[in-house]
Amino acid sequence: MRILNALRADMKFQFKQGFYFVYVILTLFYMIVISQLPNEYAKYVVPIVIFTDPSFVGFFFIGGLVMLEKVQGVLQCLVVTPLQPLEYLLAKVISLAVLAEAAGFAITLVAYREGFNWPLLFIGILLTSIFFTLYGFIATNGCNSINQYLIKMLPYMLILTIPTIIYFITPSLWVLQLVPSVAGLNLVYGAFNGIALVEAVMYICYLVTLNVLFFIKVEKSFMKNMVKG
Amino acid sequence: MLKVSGLEFSYEGTKTKVIKGIDFHIKKGEIFGFLGPSGAGKTTTQRIIIGLLQGYGGSVEVMGKERRDWGQSFFEGIGVAFDFPNLYLKLTAKENLELISSYYKNKNENIDLLIERVGLLPDKDKKVEGFSKGMKMRLNFIRSILHNPDLLFFDEPTSGLDPLNAKTIKDMIIDLKAQGKTIFLTTHNMTVAEQLCDKVAFIVDGNIPVIDSPKDLKVKHGSHTMKIEYYDGKKTKTEEFHMTEIKNNQRVFDILKTKDIKTIHSQEATLEDIFIKLTGRELV
Ligand SMILES: Nc1ncnc2c1ncn2[C@@H]1O[C@H](COP(=O)(O)OP(=O)(O)O)[C@@H](O)[C@H]1O
Ligand SMILES: [Mg+2]
Repeated sequence: MRILNALRADMKFQFKQGFYFVYVILTLFYMIVISQLPNEYAKYVVPIVIFTDPSFVGFFFIGGLVMLEKVQGVLQCLVVTPLQPLEYLLAKVISLAVLAEAAGFAITLVAYREGFNWPLLFIGILLTSIFFTLYGFIATNGCNSINQYLIKMLPYMLILTIPTIIYFITPSLWVLQLVPSVAGLNLVYGAFNGIALVEAVMYICYLVTLNVLFFIKVEKSFMKNMVKG
Repeated sequence: MLKVSGLEFSYEGTKTKVIKGIDFHIKKGEIFGFLGPSGAGKTTTQRIIIGLLQGYGGSVEVMGKERRDWGQSFFEGIGVAFDFPNLYLKLTAKENLELISSYYKNKNENIDLLIERVGLLPDKDKKVEGFSKGMKMRLNFIRSILHNPDLLFFDEPTSGLDPLNAKTIKDMIIDLKAQGKTIFLTTHNMTVAEQLCDKVAFIVDGNIPVIDSPKDLKVKHGSHTMKIEYYDGKKTKTEEFHMTEIKNNQRVFDILKTKDIKTIHSQEATLEDIFIKLTGRELV
């Protein structure tokens, strides 16, 4: 199976580039900080940490991964193999989702002492991670160097971060729930603090739809944006 | 194997055509060379055929099917070595090959054999980031033939290699031909074109004014002469004769009978001379 080989190749690449090392350190750091917190704070802090982990890290990682492959020229070499853009993208999305789930559950299980809704947590992390991976892909479009990417990445990040922070302060601004990162955060938050079923289903449907659309967009523009710059 | 007709191309965002309606075909088992100066359109043409550049005009028929109608399975049957060695720097030589090999149906069971062939066996477990340009180019080359493809594209396969390594690669290309592979290579080095190619196309500014075998080009366009250097008293003198007129030229025999000869050389025009003569351009 080509897709499995692609997945293995990606994990190897991520490992050798030192990505896993960074992730382990980060996760350990979170665990230590959170386990120092009293329970009533943990209820709020844990979902925020677990949400920002796959989102920010996923976003940074995918950018780093793609840019490294681009700069080293291997993307060009990959597109002349039978590996399909779809398989390439899936391998990236899956490998980063696995990483996000592993870190999210490790932090929760080690540092969080109360009960939580684990299927919802699983889904929340998954959809958030996939969204940010695809979003990170889009951010790399047209970038040919790591520096270019770092500059371009900033506005991409702020567009999602600012509304999420505003929503967190003033949840009454319900329009902000349409911001994908807010939807993701609400799912993860709900896994710890409860959420109405209808609301959860709506967020899930919304994020799934968005992810599918993004996936199609990224795959379609793969040759144009990924390979040629 | 490959038939290109009326191919035209311009890069996105530019109006100028960099490929201006070229025609050529490559037969199965043939080594076909694009010879031309830098910027002529060699890489561009190869990339169009490979499928990395879309939106071409004209027709490109590869392995019996128009290029734009091929799917990803096209790549099972072709091998590509780019002019720039694009490798995973943090992986070892062998890991690089294994990774790419795993994407093909036809997996290479004996990667070490190929590694040995290009003299990289002692370095196969070292990270590529520490490799010299020449080592990377050799690795880049064997990566393109891992899956035993029938049609090969080599873009400047010997550029940046020292003579010894260049010979290794040239010998491998000749071996591939012996195995029945079809090879399309580009070069701005006339020696490479002359030593390897069954046919060469001269390409200049996106046009192909000439396609022929190196041998026929020389017969048709190169003058073949004999140069005699002889002693005349204290001085040495040189006289040159066209090969075709020697047997009827009394002067040649007079020199040979009466003078002390210093040297006799036969001289052929090089492919580069012919290139300059036919295109009005230098090769570099
Ligand atoms: N990505 C690109 N965008 C715009 N023009 C390009 C690009 N790549 C090459 N060119 C132009 O196309 C022409 C042919 O280039 P190329 O095919 O690389 O030549 P060669 O391989 O023979 O040296 C050159 O004039 C070059 O400047
Ligand atoms: Mg070139």
